[in-house]
Amino acid sequence: MRSRPRTIAVAVLGVGLLSLTSAAAFAQQKNPERNVYYGETHLHTSWSFDAYAFGDTRTGPESFYQYATGKPTLHPGGYQVTITKPLDWGAVTEHAEYMGMVQEAMDPESPLRKSSPLLARVYEEGVRADGLLAFKVLSLAIAKGLPIKEFSDPAVVAPVWKRIVDIADRYNKPGKFTTFAAYEWTSTPDSKNLHRNIFFRDSKKVPQVPFTPLDSPDPRDLWSWMDKQRAAGNELLAISHNANLSNGMMFPTEVDHTGRPIDRAWAEARLRNEPLTEMKQVKGQSETTPGLSPNDEFANYEVFVWHLLGKKGPPPSEYGSYVRQAYKDGITMEQARGFNPYKFGVVGGSDSHVSVVPYRQKNFFGVHGTVDDTIEKRIDGATVLGLNSLWVTPAGLSAVWAEENTRDALFDAMKRKETYSTSGVRIALRFFGGWGMDAGMLKQKEWVKAAYATGVPMGADLPKPASKAPSFVVWATKDPDSANLDRLQIVKGWSVSGQSFEKVYDVAWAGARKPDRVTGKVPAIGSTVDIGKGTYSNSIGAVELKTVWTDPDFDPGLDAFYYVRALEIPTPRWSTMQAVKLGRVPPSGSGFSAIIQERAWSSPIWYTPGAQARKAVKAGVTIADLGRQGAALLSDQQLKDLLVGKTVKVRNTVTGQHFEILHGTTGRRLITAIDGKATDLRAAGEMMHGGDLDYEIRDGRLRTDLNGSEFDVAVYKLGDRYLAARSNEFGYANYEVEPLKE
Amino acid sequence: MSPASPGAAQPSRVRRWLSEPLLHFLVIGGALFAVYGALNPTPAVSSQANQIRLTRDDLRQMAMVWAASWQRPPTPEEMHSLIENKVRDEILYRESLALGLDQNDTIVRRRLAQKMEFLAEDTSAIRDPAAEELKAWFEENRARFALPGRMSFRHVYFSPDQRGPGARDAAVEALRKLAGKPADSPVVAGIGDRFMFQDYYADRVPEQVASVFGAAFAQSLSGLAPGGWLGPVESGLGWHLVFVDSITPGRVPLFDEIEPEVKAEWFNAQRAEAKRNVFAAMRARYEVVLPPPDDQDAPLSGAASTLKSR
Repeated sequence: MRSRPRTIAVAVLGVGLLSLTSAAAFAQQKNPERNVYYGETHLHTSWSFDAYAFGDTRTGPESFYQYATGKPTLHPGGYQVTITKPLDWGAVTEHAEYMGMVQEAMDPESPLRKSSPLLARVYEEGVRADGLLAFKVLSLAIAKGLPIKEFSDPAVVAPVWKRIVDIADRYNKPGKFTTFAAYEWTSTPDSKNLHRNIFFRDSKKVPQVPFTPLDSPDPRDLWSWMDKQRAAGNELLAISHNANLSNGMMFPTEVDHTGRPIDRAWAEARLRNEPLTEMKQVKGQSETTPGLSPNDEFANYEVFVWHLLGKKGPPPSEYGSYVRQAYKDGITMEQARGFNPYKFGVVGGSDSHVSVVPYRQKNFFGVHGTVDDTIEKRIDGATVLGLNSLWVTPAGLSAVWAEENTRDALFDAMKRKETYSTSGVRIALRFFGGWGMDAGMLKQKEWVKAAYATGVPMGADLPKPASKAPSFVVWATKDPDSANLDRLQIVKGWSVSGQSFEKVYDVAWAGARKPDRVTGKVPAIGSTVDIGKGTYSNSIGAVELKTVWTDPDFDPGLDAFYYVRALEIPTPRWSTMQAVKLGRVPPSGSGFSAIIQERAWSSPIWYTPGAQARKAVKAGVTIADLGRQGAALLSDQQLKDLLVGKTVKVRNTVTGQHFEILHGTTGRRLITAIDGKATDLRAAGEMMHGGDLDYEIRDGRLRTDLNGSEFDVAVYKLGDRYLAARSNEFGYANYEVEPLKE
Repeated sequence: MSPASPGAAQPSRVRRWLSEPLLHFLVIGGALFAVYGALNPTPAVSSQANQIRLTRDDLRQMAMVWAASWQRPPTPEEMHSLIENKVRDEILYRESLALGLDQNDTIVRRRLAQKMEFLAEDTSAIRDPAAEELKAWFEENRARFALPGRMSFRHVYFSPDQRGPGARDAAVEALRKLAGKPADSPVVAGIGDRFMFQDYYADRVPEQVASVFGAAFAQSLSGLAPGGWLGPVESGLGWHLVFVDSITPGRVPLFDEIEPEVKAEWFNAQRAEAKRNVFAAMRARYEVVLPPPDDQDAPLSGAASTLKSR
């Protein structure tokens, strides 16, 4: 958007006017107990080259800042939209690659036009002729390592980046509305999502040009560039996003996407630079799936299954693509290897490509330009690059606990991970952990002060144990313009000998429900949704839920994490409400339902045992141990002799569970019994997943595929015993195998 | 060569010509043209290129798109505005075609570069306003600069979690005890439930109140008179009795306090005016045709007089 500088300055001042009130009135004191500030960490305007392709040809960073502060703003679909509640903070994150290049190509005065006139004209014509095709061609070229270097020339990029930073600075009003200089590093090697958003603490020392995936798509190089920036006095952090679309590459456990083994240096670089991940955005949530968490009845929520850029392929791998599993793998790595790269907190985001962002089901408008800008297009499931508009969900919201609404305070909060994500609604959520937190703490009005004094907030580590088990204060209040709360849960994960486990505890809930005596779970709250009308009522649920909960299953020798999930009562999804308007049946699909429960997820609190505590835990058997004792690895033929056509008894030495497994002669494996009881084919346990699956014996390993990821088992013979190690158990051999006597 | 033998009945010249295939061809062709012309008269004076026609479906589509965002159909004023926007887009599009935007033209390239509004190219013509001119403009447009009113209030909360559907009644009952009492009366401490946020809010604008209590409460609050306990007022969190301490009415700051903002707004206004004038000139050359209103489309019939109905 080339315009005379003065005009921009005065226009912007004028625009900022209406949201401005006299400085004195809004300058609120610093609050040592911290306030929650809601904001946006992830969106694009037409200055991102793919937004242009989707039909957003008009917006710019200013559009978002105006929208976020409450002004009616033009959606590319041609209508005005107004945010339901203005945000406290936000940052525009244009794609670094080819940032603003469409606009530069169309401006005859631009450096790009001057340096590469032919290329600029070709690009301009291409985009005008078929924006989507132009985008596909360019992004495939990038993915194949054939970037257009003229578009990355610093002389061309620097002025665009400077404009973005300047606009952010102009809209930054400390105490009232905070902006950040930020951008997206959109690394997509082989169509796998490794995207990060980069945030600068302030704009005093921002680099001349951002580090783009054209410089390198490897996160290692990004972190190394970030370390250099920090050393030069430019504090910054990265927020990874859309792990759910990374096909297992966002949270790897053994090797990174290039095949290099993950080591301490990699883990430390990641931890140093990436304190946060985006838990939910318009392309789904990254917490977990029913496949990864079969015992979590709330896991089937906005599960978005799609290969980036519409590339065809088998369903993406779930392991390595979801946050809860990453937390589990992280603490297991801590226990097995001494480092944990996955100690990040969570925020929300949108990834809107139209500058404006819908956070609520009620006000939901499309986010992909003119692809999904009308109700009809959305309900008809208009698809672009294989992405169906029905799957798209409102943006997640980021919530940050900070002393005041300024860049410094918010950035510090993000670095220490005192943040949480919601599915778009404004659930206020607090979470503290500590030793001997008084159960009666919540009775006092000043409990927050006491909680900060005696415990640690979300995102932190528990201090050394000072009592038998940790206790946690959890508090949430509903969004006053949304639905009541159903329950608060604490998701606990812990690790033993290379295996990890999870359990979801219901800790506070609305109404007089009692937990089930067998499962311990609190039953569903029921629903007030009238699906024919697309409405609900707040006649069930609670306004506020709070409790002090002590871990009843705590083992001081085991690494663990705890995070909160707060759920609203059931409400209609946007697709239900809009289908009703059109007189159609409310749609549902494999990843989404007609009725949903909005939610919030906190950053975790971690427990890491000290060396003494670890010693008290019975050491598991490792492959290295087996080697030392002279065990022999079974060859393919020996594996076949042991397993094929026979039922073996397999005992998990960590959990004590035993299974009977039959490996058929036709390549199918079947678990016939668990703990002595015949199995229901559909029942899936935590470890050796139940059911009927393909297997293959190859290169000394027994291989099976679970939820898109391959798991290998190596079997060793020691004396007359058989011991097995599974590939995802970090070098532990936790299984005893016994052929069953016929 | 030689004429036909004398004495034989020779075909006349005319006769020969009449049987010429070329002549037949011309005659038939001419007849075809004449017939075609009679059946397809060229349109009347206003060329199709200068007419913008909107159908009932177009209007319905616009109303539905509006309703998707606003959860209600547009008012006649809003509908008129939507129609004008659509007409404007169409005109700009046709004007751009008339300029041959698909061809190489420097003027056209500059307009493309601006992209947002290709009418705005003459912003350089707007000069700095004289001090008096700016002050006068400020006086005329004071309302634009009004700061929102602020309220300071105390409240007592009645929790639906504790009391269920009885929360409102409890509030009504409690009001009897509080009526006429001052804001800091000791009676307050003994009634109501503990509120999870603050009991007293000082100098808050409606947006801030809405973020804590919800939009409906913020709206109700602005209608309350200060100086006494009133209620019950409903919020997204339950029921409340409210004592409004003070209202600082929205005020327009003094010119000197906000001169830079006034100047910025003035520039905006000038640019908008310039755009309006240029567009009005173009608009004057177009005729817009709308379908006639009927019962079903009552809201659509709010189209103003500049639009002609057939």
